[in-house]
Amino acid sequence: MHKGLLKRLLPHVVLLVFSSAILFPILWMLRVALTNKMNAYQIPPVWGNPNFNNFIEIFADNSFMGYFVNSLSIAIGTTLIALPLAAAMAYSFARYNTGGLPLRLAVLSSQMLPPVILVLPLFSLFLKASLLNTQTGMIIAHITISLPFLAWLLVAFFEGDIVIIEQAARIDGATRLQAFLRITMPIMAPGLLAAGLLSFILSWNEFLFALILSGPQTNTLPVGLSSYQSHRGVDIALLSAAAICAILPVFILLPLMKKHLIKGLSLGAIK
Amino acid sequence: MSEITLRNVSKIYGSDDAAVNNINLDIKDGEFMVLLGPSGCGKSTTLRMIAGLESITAGDIFIDGKLINDIDPAERDLAIVFQNYALYPHMNVAANLAFGLKLRKVPKDQIESRILKTANTLGISELLTRRPRELSGGQQQRVALGRAMVREPVAFLFDEPLSNLDAKLRATMRTELVKLHNDLGTTIIHVTHDQVEAMTMGDRICIMRKGIIEQVGKPLEVYRNPANIFVAGFLASPPMNLIEGSFEQEGDSLKIEVSGITLTIPAHFANAYGNVHSRKDVILGIRPEDIYTDSNDGRYTCMETQVVAVEALGPETIMVVKLPGGKEISARLDRSFRAPIGSALKLYADIERMHLFDPETEKAIVAR
Repeated sequence: MHKGLLKRLLPHVVLLVFSSAILFPILWMLRVALTNKMNAYQIPPVWGNPNFNNFIEIFADNSFMGYFVNSLSIAIGTTLIALPLAAAMAYSFARYNTGGLPLRLAVLSSQMLPPVILVLPLFSLFLKASLLNTQTGMIIAHITISLPFLAWLLVAFFEGDIVIIEQAARIDGATRLQAFLRITMPIMAPGLLAAGLLSFILSWNEFLFALILSGPQTNTLPVGLSSYQSHRGVDIALLSAAAICAILPVFILLPLMKKHLIKGLSLGAIK
Repeated sequence: MSEITLRNVSKIYGSDDAAVNNINLDIKDGEFMVLLGPSGCGKSTTLRMIAGLESITAGDIFIDGKLINDIDPAERDLAIVFQNYALYPHMNVAANLAFGLKLRKVPKDQIESRILKTANTLGISELLTRRPRELSGGQQQRVALGRAMVREPVAFLFDEPLSNLDAKLRATMRTELVKLHNDLGTTIIHVTHDQVEAMTMGDRICIMRKGIIEQVGKPLEVYRNPANIFVAGFLASPPMNLIEGSFEQEGDSLKIEVSGITLTIPAHFANAYGNVHSRKDVILGIRPEDIYTDSNDGRYTCMETQVVAVEALGPETIMVVKLPGGKEISARLDRSFRAPIGSALKLYADIERMHLFDPETEKAIVAR
């Protein structure tokens, strides 16, 4: 009886410890962001009137808005280009076995190298092509990260039960294109959506490439945050508010992505 | 309505052995042909080549005399029912049925009437607005069948459509499919590894192994006269007992010695076997249902056996017994028959119904 109880409790205790290790800094950050500058450094924490003044201030600040807009446009641009390309690539891998296993591994291998090895040649290339400190350059750089990853993810979708469903459509009289557009695409929509969200998050969070390849006009949020200073120096309360804003999209998108990722993987399967 | 003809058809994947090796098969108009064999025998590959889902490495496939090797699957006007049904998950049942008709530009009012007719035939009228995932396995199966029927194709291809159903439903669907075939009269090619399906459904059975056709024939014909050891051992459950032995010539009578028992081959039989050499190896086949507990007034041959296992199945009792030479065989006996394990038991074989096979070629020595 006691043993059973312990057995059931233990995982929860372990999980509680780990989740608080992850959650505590975020909650602390939230506290600091919602308090005023005077209370920000107080330990033990002082719970003054929570307010959104810090958030209002950072959005009024041009540099933060700049980072935010940069991140948003680069992440959206990356996703809009990488997703169709990755879908085409994955479909070609899955249906026609394009390039065989070697090409598939080659695509994945770019993900196995430490990013810092890729970023230096990219820097010199971008320097020659005048792509440094441009949004186009940043989008290209982020596509090099997203594309292989998305293609790899989508191959698994295209190789699932959808193969047989597509064949059923072909026998039903559909051409390859009709089967793709009227059967495969609608069924794959949740999977594509999940992949798109993933691509957005990857680009949104990316730091190293952005640090090296972007410049004052194109700094993204992660780079901006790392050097965030107001005219009064580092302000921990403002910085916390900015960080909360930076992770908010991820917090909103992740549960959505999880739902669609599972739906994408299981759709078409026999229940 | 159509005749399907396969001429020297092969399928080779990469550098592997042939999945289908130079097969010839004539499927008559309106015939229910069952492709039967263990997994990996090439039956599904053959079906998929007919459907156009696999390319043909060598040979020709004709539908009604027309070569279809290079015709797109969409143009062959065949319908296929897959093992896992492969319904369109994002469409409701009605849309699933309508898909093929819309692609063929059938007028809207005709589409509706054909869907209703098919749904009525299959008893799925109430399901038309449901999505596939809201249906049970049996219902999905009917919808898949309906999707094939509604198009009124030249032939149906069934790729193990019953194997995902539970035993009871499978039995029901077997009879329903046969009834459906009788009503529609359309050519059907049905792939299965289940020999009960093959025996009960097919006009003819085509038994395959390792990419080649072992035997084609009417179910009972194949059951009565298996062409080789593989077919003998594959069909029926429990399958035919196959016992190694050798011929003995004793004066005028020809005998066979198997596992410590000597059986006298009936005179009229022995003549049919012609001039076999004494001591020549042979494999004797006897079906479990040709073994009895009484001698039928001395007409059956007595075997001294020892009981190894008893399977009381209800309608019948399967008795596994050991021959004096150690070989175990099974006998299908009356449901009330019981014997303790390990006890001695006299069984009687109807030697008139035996089969003989050449151990080298594995072929039946004489087709009676």
